[in-house]
Amino acid sequence: MPQKREQRYTILVADDSEMNRSILRSMLEESYDIIEAEDGLQAVAVLQQREQEISLVLLDIVMPNLDGFGVLSAMNKYNWIDSVPVIMISAESTHTFIERAYDMGVTDYISRPFDMMVVRRRVINTIMLYAKQRRLAAMVNEQIYQKEKVNNLMISILSHIVEFRNEESGLHVLHIQTMTEILLKSLARKTDKYVLDRETINLISNASTLHDVGKICIPSEVLNKPGRFTNEEFAIMKQHSQMGADMMKGVPFQDEPLVKYAYEICRWHHERYDGRGYPDGLKGEEIPISAQVVALADVYDALTSTRVYKPAHSHEKALTMILNGECGTFQPLLLECLVESSDIIQQEMAVDTVTRGDQRIMENTAAELGQYEDLSATDRTLFILEQERTIHNFFASISPNILFRYTSTPPMLSLSPVGSQRLGLEETTVDPYHNKRVQELIDLDQLAELAQLLQGTTPENPVVEFDGSVLLDGRFKPVHIICRAMWSFEDPPQYTGAIGKVLETREEENR
Amino acid sequence: MTLQECYAALEGDYQEVLGRLYSEALVQKFVGKFLSDKSFQLLQDTLKAGDYEEAFRAAHTLKGVTQNLSFTRLYQSSHEITEALRTKDYDLAVQLLPKVEGDYTRTAEAIRAYQGG
Repeated sequence: MPQKREQRYTILVADDSEMNRSILRSMLEESYDIIEAEDGLQAVAVLQQREQEISLVLLDIVMPNLDGFGVLSAMNKYNWIDSVPVIMISAESTHTFIERAYDMGVTDYISRPFDMMVVRRRVINTIMLYAKQRRLAAMVNEQIYQKEKVNNLMISILSHIVEFRNEESGLHVLHIQTMTEILLKSLARKTDKYVLDRETINLISNASTLHDVGKICIPSEVLNKPGRFTNEEFAIMKQHSQMGADMMKGVPFQDEPLVKYAYEICRWHHERYDGRGYPDGLKGEEIPISAQVVALADVYDALTSTRVYKPAHSHEKALTMILNGECGTFQPLLLECLVESSDIIQQEMAVDTVTRGDQRIMENTAAELGQYEDLSATDRTLFILEQERTIHNFFASISPNILFRYTSTPPMLSLSPVGSQRLGLEETTVDPYHNKRVQELIDLDQLAELAQLLQGTTPENPVVEFDGSVLLDGRFKPVHIICRAMWSFEDPPQYTGAIGKVLETREEENR
Repeated sequence: MTLQECYAALEGDYQEVLGRLYSEALVQKFVGKFLSDKSFQLLQDTLKAGDYEEAFRAAHTLKGVTQNLSFTRLYQSSHEITEALRTKDYDLAVQLLPKVEGDYTRTAEAIRAYQGG
């Protein structure tokens, strides 16, 4: 196992006064790595590139170029404020200033003159609070995932045992579960007659896998008899619903909603909406919705699967038979759900059901996590993001091309290493429009024309090609620029910048 | 000249700064650095050039630095000029400048004297 590096937190100190940065550095450098920024734009540039590494920002308010509030706006815009805490430092003790800073998400406030003890305490407290929150978030995430996984696994094992004795593949159970979920979701969209929140739908779908559990009490000569049942055999077979229900009544967790739904489903999944089913002859809404849905799912899967006594029917054929009332009667609303979910049923049933099970766990974990707003930036997502960033940076670093990325607020231009070298420009340039070096590299009219083209694109059609001339390796050369405008997901979408590539046009081609 | 005597000469509060920074070596280091801080120069230049926004930031920085060093006298005058610039009372700011200049000179001289031995 790789040895864990000793955790050393990094603090970004943004203050325009060298003296003040230096005082803070002296107070903190013994225990922390310090990055300094001389103004707001630099602070945003550092955050843009190294947000993942930074555990805290000490932010001055009055700064040139972009002030502390500007930095806070950017941090809110890019959601950095969710994972990077900010302590405001300023001699500004005006009430409105402080209030505005708190409103924009700062965690704490240090006023000048700095007191070493106070600075150190507030810094460590804030960092620890956030670190703890991140750890807890990761733990909750892991727990929910494990819980879902174990739940599904246990239910799946149990239902496979039933199927095994039944000499059927385990697929039937998984199909019922999938169908039940699809039908319930569709029903929830159509009516508020039943209480069908995400949690309930999840429970009923899980409980549906137990619908035939009573069959373990049926003698196997009857259960697996090829050919038609005699009346007597059929009577024995029919007992499985009552027996399943008795088992569910016998388990010790009667208060568990899962057990309650499993009981309903076992007992009544052979009832009919017209009252001609078994064992109780319940009619219409006397039959709990859980059992109504599982009954329909069961019939559909029986029709579309191969059995010893019949071939598999197509989806269309099964639907026609059900709608014609050849296989029982169902609540009309439920039949509507079946017809409307026709496409998704076909899709889902075609998917390898084991894979789907995994997907389901992931979806449920994500949905459950989504209930806790504070956990949205968990370590797992951060890790994925970080990985993407590493991949991107690596490809950019080995690319022989001039790659660039431009963000509009705050205005900043980033270049690949080769781009930086050939253009003779830093890898990150803040406010490029007003940068002297940039103005020497490209004619400002061309730059304005390109910007106009990009801003004139749409999120659907964001790519722009442009021919111009740029100072490359020390002399002006004709170039072809391919770039893609970046649009936000807001409504209406906002232009947020562009990415692209500068290609040198062969001069002979132009002649 | 001791550091404490230097603080007495520039009318600062030595006990206060030592109470916050906890070490004489640190105080000494930052007092030494004060002479290379550009904010006073910037305040003088921008105020004379009529660039009041930049002058406000310079005054604000000078105020912050002197506050951190407990240079009480210079802090007081830079605080006053900062407030004048913040409330856009530019006439008052220009009137206050000589006082800031005087206090700065007094402070700088005390530090040089201390550094000279």
